[in-house]
Amino acid sequence: MLIIYGKVVIFLESNIKQTSELGYKKGFLDGIPICLGYIPIALAFGISASKLGMNIWIAQLMNVAVYSGSGEFAVLNLIEGGEVSIITFALTLLVINCRYLLLSISMAQRLDTSMGFLQRVCFGIFNTDEIFAVAVQNPGKLKAPYLFGLATLPFLGWFSGSIVGCLFTNILPKSVGDALGIILYAMIIALVIPSAKKSKQVLFIIINSILISVLLECNPIITSHITSGWIIIICAMVSATLGAVFFPVHNSDNNTQEEAKVQ
Amino acid sequence: MIDYGVLLKAIAAMAVVMFCLRVLPLIFCKKPIKNRFIQSFLFYIPYAVLTSMAIPEAFHSTASVPSAIAGVVIACILAYFERDLLTVCLSATAAVFIADQIMNFIK
Repeated sequence: MLIIYGKVVIFLESNIKQTSELGYKKGFLDGIPICLGYIPIALAFGISASKLGMNIWIAQLMNVAVYSGSGEFAVLNLIEGGEVSIITFALTLLVINCRYLLLSISMAQRLDTSMGFLQRVCFGIFNTDEIFAVAVQNPGKLKAPYLFGLATLPFLGWFSGSIVGCLFTNILPKSVGDALGIILYAMIIALVIPSAKKSKQVLFIIINSILISVLLECNPIITSHITSGWIIIICAMVSATLGAVFFPVHNSDNNTQEEAKVQ
Repeated sequence: MIDYGVLLKAIAAMAVVMFCLRVLPLIFCKKPIKNRFIQSFLFYIPYAVLTSMAIPEAFHSTASVPSAIAGVVIACILAYFERDLLTVCLSATAAVFIADQIMNFIK
């Protein structure tokens, strides 16, 4: 098992080195870890949906239309509770996914001007937190081929994982399923820590976010009044504002990795 | 029993919400923002959002808190030494799996 894994990693690394320019292939390969992270969550979603007695194709329709892990699990909860108000569905999703607004505005600053209207719409539909996080690690402006490459595998992983979960509710041994729960968080750690190493400002933001998040999430009075979706937004707004006040970035050319280092 | 009539309308409404959140900013925020404060804010937002998403939720993402801590620690160490994404993810998963097996054994 470990030998196979080692070989896969060596193969991928050699491929990634060969394709240094940001084309479709590089994006496709960069999407592998995201896809691996999505599969267990998609399986869990499929399993929960079929346990609720939801029609498999309606569940897939929701997957394509919503395509947001945390949002879809919240929707399953609403369905389980027999919710009939369409406004409640829409508002719940809005609250949980409000962070996308912040991420998309940030992302818009990084897109190459060569990307046309349709390309922006298509990429926007398939964009997720993790795709965004991987994409912005690249310096300079982001072009369409790389972004579409990056978005390919995660979507396929999410879609197929959910179908498999719907069809075979007992596919994963519980111990493996539990262990895979860490994978998306490990990915966030892998993305954030190297940036924090290079930039004191980013480190400041991260420590701030951790402190505020822990303070809010571990406070029963607060968690009984607001959802974790709001906590993420409050926390991110406060720490990014502090960062912007104390460590404004220099360059007029937007958001490159180098910028924070120049400080 | 699930009311599919309501659910289909709800899915349509939710698709509109996601479209507004994800796609509209990409279309309408094309012009580079000159304001230095907003620029800095947007530069820091990804790190702030990702960190608040991960902590403290990561510690409740597995079967037990100790195994989650094992996974987070391994991920942090490997990330510090700038290993690639896939290595960090799979190693953290392996660490959680092993930690859970040990926990079961002790019990």
